[in-house]
Amino acid sequence: MTFQDLILKLSAFWASHGCLLQQPLDIEVGAGTSHPETLFRVLGPKPWSVAYVQPSRRPDDGRFGQNPNRLFKHHQYQVILKPSPDEVQRIYLESLEACGINPRQHDIRFEEDNWESPTLGAWGIGWQVLLDGLEITQFTYFQQVGGIDLAPISCEITYGLERIAMFLQRVDNVFDLEWGGGVKYGEVRLREEIEQSKYAFGQVDMPAGAFAALHRELFEKYYGFAERLLASGLVLPALEHCLKCSHLFNVLDSSGSIGVTERTAYILRVRQLAVGIARTYLDSSPDGTGSTAASGAADATRGGA
Amino acid sequence: MDRELLIEIGCEEIPAGWLPDLTAQLGRHLEGRLKEFRLTIDAPSETYSTPRRLTARVAKLAERQTDLEELVTGPPVAAAFNAGGEPTPAAAGFARKHGVEVGALERHETPKGTYLAHRVRQRGKATVDVLADVMAGVLRDLTFPKQMRWDAHLEDGRGELVFARPIRWLVLMYGGRVVPFVIRRSEMAEGPNVQDVRSGSQTYGHRFFTTSGRAGRAIKIKTFDDYRARLLENFVILERSERESKIRRELETHARRLGGRVSGLVAAHSSLLQEVPDLVEYPSVVAGYFGVEYLQLPEEVLTTTMIHHQHFFPVVDEEGKLKPAFLAVVNMQPEKPEIISRNAERVLAARLRDARFFWDEDRRTPLEARIDRLATILFHKKLGTYREKADRVAALAAWIARDAFGREEAAAQAERAGRLCKADLATDMVRELTELQGTMGGIYAREEGQPEAVWKAIYFHYLPIGVEPDAPPLRPQLGSAAVTWAAVSLADKLDSVAGMFAAGERPTGSRDPLGLRRQAQGIVKILADLPELTGLDIRVQLGTLLARAGEPFGGAGTADGGEPRKTMLSFMADRVSYLLEQRGYDVRSVRAVLHGGIEEVSPLDARLKLEALAQMSGSQALLGVAALLKRVKNITKGVTSSPGEWAALQLRLVDPAERTLWSRIDERAPGIRDAAARGDYREAFASIEALQPAVATFFDDVLVMAGDLALRQARLALVAALRDLILNIADLSEIATEN
Repeated sequence: MTFQDLILKLSAFWASHGCLLQQPLDIEVGAGTSHPETLFRVLGPKPWSVAYVQPSRRPDDGRFGQNPNRLFKHHQYQVILKPSPDEVQRIYLESLEACGINPRQHDIRFEEDNWESPTLGAWGIGWQVLLDGLEITQFTYFQQVGGIDLAPISCEITYGLERIAMFLQRVDNVFDLEWGGGVKYGEVRLREEIEQSKYAFGQVDMPAGAFAALHRELFEKYYGFAERLLASGLVLPALEHCLKCSHLFNVLDSSGSIGVTERTAYILRVRQLAVGIARTYLDSSPDGTGSTAASGAADATRGGA
Repeated sequence: MDRELLIEIGCEEIPAGWLPDLTAQLGRHLEGRLKEFRLTIDAPSETYSTPRRLTARVAKLAERQTDLEELVTGPPVAAAFNAGGEPTPAAAGFARKHGVEVGALERHETPKGTYLAHRVRQRGKATVDVLADVMAGVLRDLTFPKQMRWDAHLEDGRGELVFARPIRWLVLMYGGRVVPFVIRRSEMAEGPNVQDVRSGSQTYGHRFFTTSGRAGRAIKIKTFDDYRARLLENFVILERSERESKIRRELETHARRLGGRVSGLVAAHSSLLQEVPDLVEYPSVVAGYFGVEYLQLPEEVLTTTMIHHQHFFPVVDEEGKLKPAFLAVVNMQPEKPEIISRNAERVLAARLRDARFFWDEDRRTPLEARIDRLATILFHKKLGTYREKADRVAALAAWIARDAFGREEAAAQAERAGRLCKADLATDMVRELTELQGTMGGIYAREEGQPEAVWKAIYFHYLPIGVEPDAPPLRPQLGSAAVTWAAVSLADKLDSVAGMFAAGERPTGSRDPLGLRRQAQGIVKILADLPELTGLDIRVQLGTLLARAGEPFGGAGTADGGEPRKTMLSFMADRVSYLLEQRGYDVRSVRAVLHGGIEEVSPLDARLKLEALAQMSGSQALLGVAALLKRVKNITKGVTSSPGEWAALQLRLVDPAERTLWSRIDERAPGIRDAAARGDYREAFASIEALQPAVATFFDDVLVMAGDLALRQARLALVAALRDLILNIADLSEIATEN
């Protein structure tokens, strides 16, 4: 099964289980959780089921394309089920079968692994799912997001697409994966990995001090603007700018540009912003459904036509 | 007639580490609730667990509650009847309240007088009618290290029901019949996919394996024996001990087939063998290999990767050398184990490839050059970075070696080891395998050619973990690093304890996120076993060390440390008592040797005193002195002895018994003090014991509180001197038997 076939299989599977198929967030994030389709939709009471691929950037994991397992950018398949169905584990296991994994031939286990994102003020209880000892999925029952207690509880299923594809294709190097139609993962992504890693570790033709200063400045600008957006009640744009800050912080961190005390301070600031955004999102839709923009959407359609 | 009660709480996978405690809790709380509801059982409850279920069975549970009989007291008889013998309003009111005539009330005798009383009799309800309340109580009673909300609540008026993981089914059967019980789901969540959990008579086996029918289907059960048998048919071994022995048996068989045995490191350095039976419902073992080229990696890296990261069991040959093979416990009966083996091999190989990369990369940079990188790793927000901690630990380790241990020649190496001991936090290997902190630093230091006194001090500096006398490291392992290791290990822990208390961090109840208890116990353990560990026969006082360690913080450790310092000292006192009690010493003896301020306590001294006391535990004479010391302490409250006037005191004593006591003390005191100074407490206690006849005769013959003021003062001075002679070693009154 090719990398793209895997995405198609999972999409078909979850669509048939009532999920809307969404698209990736088109800005830099570290995980599918940051996508408003997760971050906002799990707030409030309105049921919501959605699935999407999310390219996820982890500057610190960049290995210049030389490590067979580690990537600056990997792909998550993210599923949110709200409320979490009673049969969620069974459905998840069926999704693996749909991808060609026969559970009678493999050791599949749910081992305790709770999840926490200090910058998003979010945490949950759950497991990592192990397939013959390989971690293929993070399975989380969200308890809190943006500092807000959730009710009902949503279930987040995050598949590591590269890992699962490597398992299915029996390859030991991610760059040897077949993406689709005979094209290798390396052909699609190797150059990007090399260049992004160089960037993430500050191997740029400019002094380290200037590199750090630029990113700090960008952080401050995005941060300030996110606050303005939030004050204007524009929560979605505010979230995007908050996520920009989060990514800039990750770059500063991986390039070794920030000290420890500063590091904690950065995390705290992003968290404050995220908490404010989540609260405003919830407050601005009195029924908690987050559906205040219905008329705006209609306008946009007309404008685009 | 007694019938069987069967409860099964069917869950999604509960964390393995919680199961032993949850199983015990289930039994305890079930019995507690049954008792509360007056349901008698004639044998203790049996409890079981697998990752997906908590099970309890009571073989024989009474069919009805016992009847309740209670005596409610009313007004005193004296106030119940007037002069004419007629009931007063108080008596009439009490009778009316209980719906009886005054004449039907009983008379109840109490020490305070006779009261009117009404005997309430309530017939017990049928067991089936109260079991739902028992069930609700038990679900409420269970506590978890981390609880989750899952849109559930009970109808017991207490609202939301948190649990370990979502409950998916519930068996609640009495005498083979289902007792109705329901866990409700919140309105917001409820729908076609989210339903109430209702008690039933159906359980679930392994998700993918069964001997008949469709795997994963609901299985109807009747009795506990039936339940256990049906689970086994469906690849669930209910008994943890059976799962464990199956694992041990198969591990042995497979290891033998590979020409080796399971590495002893598994049992010594991890809880893997305790953990795996709680990770699986139907364990089997599969074997796999890894490339021989990885055997060039340090053994610690290989075993940590296998044990801690993959839950694999390393295999060693006859000589204890690692073989390029491992064993994995799986949750199934594999038809084609080779498929799982190949996959497990690939996962391990990927990890080892990373490890080899780190091993090669890390060795390019010496530890010394990494110290500055420690400035980017936070130790504690108020205490700065590991860079700063490394400086403090270096200085403190040098001071301990030189001043506390009197080993000037070890000071420089202790300082260097202290300075380098945290440098591995900046290596890729430790960032990836955090369990190898210290160990890895030691290995890298060895690779760089640091002497044994330095690299082993780093290697072992996180130890000891346990408080037992034989908790690692042991003297032979430490080699020539014994003294430097003790200095660095103490310095690291003292710095953490003094620093954290100064920063206002303190362990409370079950919360100790910084592991301060373990660190403090490490300090006490090293000091208590210093001769065995290092060959140094020095009784180091805690106060000295804590004061020096606290200096950089200007707080907790130092004399003017105020409240944090007091808290820290009482915390340390608890850790000293804990270690000594763990070693089997009687609580009262421990109190006896730790009396007075904790700062003056030397853990080694305390240990030696306890060993001596334990040897003399049968001595009636010593107990006699102890009992008399209690009296002495009482009558000499506020009396201070003045050693300068000891000789003159003799002339002020008149009674033969008191003159004899003076002589005996005078003879014995120098020897007792000398023995104590040498640490020979056996001799010191023997001399104290020898005072017993003189002390006993004194108290028989002499009235201390004499009418004559001068004589009374002389006698008080005499017993105060005796008191201080003994208290200087131990407060033996703590071990005096009552009466």
